[in-house]
Amino acid sequence: MDIVVCVKHVPDTTEAEIAIRDDGRGIKKEGLVFDINEADNYAIEEALLLKEEFDGAITVLTVGPPEADETLRMCLAKGADQAVRLTDERFEGSDGYATARILAEAIKDMDYDLVLTGVQADDDGSAQVGVTLAEVLGIPHAALVVSTETEEDEDRMTVHRELEGGLHEVLEIELPALLTIQTGINEPRYASIFGIRKAMKKQIEVLNLDDLELAEEAVGEAGSRTSLVKLFIPVVTAQATILEGSPEEVSGELVTIFKNEGVI
Amino acid sequence: MLRTRKFVEQYDLLGCIQCGRCTGGCPLSLSSPLNIRRIIYEFLVRDKLDIKQMPEIWDCTTCSTCTLRCPKGLDPAMILVGMRRVLTEGGRIKPTVRDALESTFKFGNPWGRGKNKRSDWAQGLNVKNLAEGGFPPKACPEQGRRVGGDRGGAQAEILYFVGCTPSYDDRVQAVARAMVKVFEKAEVDFGILGNEEICCGSEMRRLGEEGLFEFLVEDSLEIFKQHGVKRMVTTSPHCYNTFKNEYEGLDFEVQHYTQFLADLIERGKLVFSEEVNKVVTYHDPCYLGKQNQIYDEPRAILQSIPGLKFVEFDRSRERSLCCEGGGGRMWVEASSGGERLAETRVKDALALGAEVIATACPFCMLTLEDAVKTTGAEGSIEVLDIVELVAQAIST
Amino acid sequence: MGEIFVLAEHRQGELRDVTFEMLGKGQELAVAMDAPLAAVLLGHNVDDFATELARHANQVVVVEDERLEHFNSAVYQQVLAQLITEREPGLVLIGQSAQGMDLAPSLATQLGLPLVTDCVGLEFEDGQLLAVREMYGGKVSARVAFKQANTYLVTARQAAFPFEEGEPLGGEVITVGSPLTEEIAYRRFIEYVEAAVGDVDITQADVVVAVGRGIKEVDNLPLVEKLAKAMGGVLAGSRPVVDAGWLPPDRQVGQSGKTVKPKLYLAVGVSGASQHVVGMKASSTIVAINKDPDAPIFKVAHYGIVDDLFKVVPALTAQLGGS
Repeated sequence: MDIVVCVKHVPDTTEAEIAIRDDGRGIKKEGLVFDINEADNYAIEEALLLKEEFDGAITVLTVGPPEADETLRMCLAKGADQAVRLTDERFEGSDGYATARILAEAIKDMDYDLVLTGVQADDDGSAQVGVTLAEVLGIPHAALVVSTETEEDEDRMTVHRELEGGLHEVLEIELPALLTIQTGINEPRYASIFGIRKAMKKQIEVLNLDDLELAEEAVGEAGSRTSLVKLFIPVVTAQATILEGSPEEVSGELVTIFKNEGVI
Repeated sequence: MLRTRKFVEQYDLLGCIQCGRCTGGCPLSLSSPLNIRRIIYEFLVRDKLDIKQMPEIWDCTTCSTCTLRCPKGLDPAMILVGMRRVLTEGGRIKPTVRDALESTFKFGNPWGRGKNKRSDWAQGLNVKNLAEGGFPPKACPEQGRRVGGDRGGAQAEILYFVGCTPSYDDRVQAVARAMVKVFEKAEVDFGILGNEEICCGSEMRRLGEEGLFEFLVEDSLEIFKQHGVKRMVTTSPHCYNTFKNEYEGLDFEVQHYTQFLADLIERGKLVFSEEVNKVVTYHDPCYLGKQNQIYDEPRAILQSIPGLKFVEFDRSRERSLCCEGGGGRMWVEASSGGERLAETRVKDALALGAEVIATACPFCMLTLEDAVKTTGAEGSIEVLDIVELVAQAIST
Repeated sequence: MGEIFVLAEHRQGELRDVTFEMLGKGQELAVAMDAPLAAVLLGHNVDDFATELARHANQVVVVEDERLEHFNSAVYQQVLAQLITEREPGLVLIGQSAQGMDLAPSLATQLGLPLVTDCVGLEFEDGQLLAVREMYGGKVSARVAFKQANTYLVTARQAAFPFEEGEPLGGEVITVGSPLTEEIAYRRFIEYVEAAVGDVDITQADVVVAVGRGIKEVDNLPLVEKLAKAMGGVLAGSRPVVDAGWLPPDRQVGQSGKTVKPKLYLAVGVSGASQHVVGMKASSTIVAINKDPDAPIFKVAHYGIVDDLFKVVPALTAQLGGS
């Protein structure tokens, strides 16, 4: 089973302080640690598990700057066979639609049975690229996948989609198809430093706009259907009443609050 | 499947006479299926070993009792680490270990905390920052290391290497703060690296991530050079051990803080004015005691604190009962249940009539404190780092 | 501007809340854009839904077809593509839900329409539609504009738009023919399954104590469990805690877990990411304990304690008489 996995190199923003660039159209990247997008890490692991079961080759792609090689190498170290980085200044400002078009151009002539992406990216959280990519490629898709089962003849899969309230939607999908993979579907393996160094031997193919059959107007801001006007730090409207004092003091206050609310 | 021949050659296993002194002294032999003598035997008689089916190799705390006892000079603990290397480099490790390793690579600490929060413990303390104003090197995947960076400002005689656990763990941060108080009282000219300090890598090496260890060594050596470090004192025996014994290219003096403080006390530079009227026993950390023979200095410090009544464990010095915090065990659950060694230790301390278990290692502190809670001894005994007792004995 | 479509979302015999939230916002925009509001309902035997929706829209457009009995994004897409092409609405609102995330991007692409997802704000300013959405885990917000088109597609974050019951609009219900012809073979709905069934139903509890990544490791769960017990409440968790296997899936609160509305929701070491908040923001009283003063949970909590949970939780348990 040949699998294509689309990944993104994103900043880890959990404990980091985010500052908006002066032009208001992006965030300051200095001091931020970058890594593979969390859901994409689960996607690559799912591809690796499928490869272990059904053989085949895994190609991992990303649209990103040269630094994204770090993420691609990690995927190669874990067992991906080929890596492609799509890099071009003219891709700047691409929205989910334009990004999907870029990926589709690179993927369309490949031989694949399955395309995997993460459900959404930790930075923009749009959850658009995967499903859009499926439509551009003209293949069926299912989003928010939390489990997969492949038929013997590898032409169909039964997948579970994660719905609200702890419910799963079970469906059958014909291959080739695209699945957007949700976190928690598996336990991603570790890529050791030695493993990543060994993977340096595998070439990362770098393609720019001229290598793809895509017009300049189809990418970047020109090729996007939406545009970012401005980023801003959200004004906190509702704010909690902060209780101050030692743990004993605040606990006392809380117990009073609980009693007043009729909870205890 | 691991081919055994290379291992046998690499670790000189043909020298093993199967005497069993290793397993006989292993603190885990009663609670874990781990049997290092037997493992060596398997290596000697089989062509291949399926190490994936041996989860007990993750129980080893690398206390190195086996190494100390081996009459043939072998290093059984390192054989286990070698086996872990095969698994870790193949990516086959538990999620908790994976997370600790990935965190160390990304953030310079295994606790998943941000780099920018590493020196939060020192807020309000006015500690000299040897790296202030500089900026750290940046990751360069092609070279497999970090490059660039710029040295910052302040200079000091001594680098106080805080360590990941004292930097980020709420309990152990108190130890770092006590250290600062004591250094200031003794008028020590010291500084910290602040947010530029990164993990020493000791646990990473012992979890089998040799590549990450090498990465950290290169980075730290670069950072020390950039900031003109001439002498170092550490909180943790693990950091001490690895900087002193495992960092090739490190050309300045490294001490564990107990060595440094014992010397200050002996030279009259640190004077006590308060009494600490407690019955205190001392738990020798494996990485300070067994592995580096530092037994006397911690005792000298404790016994010089006015009012302190010192009582000795039966299992003390090289016989100290490992707390199960080292060898990556902070991130690995024991493969079988039963009483944890730290719990035994707490019970032994209570039987001695001790009110305080003193120690000099962040991992010992955390595992012993956990054991105080799980044995229901909270309120009867407390765990304190030696420097915390020292801080109690000096006026503010 | 053309009419506003709101795609009604339903599952297992119930209309989902996001439908009404979008209708509420839709009504507001209908006034601003001077456009009629239509609820679009796809399904099989859904007359009851249609009647309910008619109270909140000027028109309810029903597409009745056996093949629409259970949500299947491929089938929905076919129907909606036809409907949108025929009626050319100015704006189509779909929920950013498990249904919407599976449907909206491919629908937008098929029709060549601009799509902004997961919106928390939507305004019609100077003849232009502007969307507001969050990025970087909610730390940054973005104002996004659409390229000129006849129809704009927007997905609305669940529980982001308030819904207030107003005067019934008395919309007319019309049924249009289903454009579906053959069975779609490449994607077939099989069934729904419950992810996990446990012994505790957190949606029925008066007091819910939820843990997040802040508890750091599974060994620290008993500490919070004691507190939950002392309060007579149940233990729940955010997604990362369930993903890590520290709590079973039926204890998960959030978008992909359960929605709870207890009298008291105590969030311990929970950052308050939107996917979690969506599952608890309707709780009567929300108290949050978190070391990080910037944690988004403090935006929805009524009371907050910015301190170390490992200090506060035991102190609180002690005060409540728990041991």
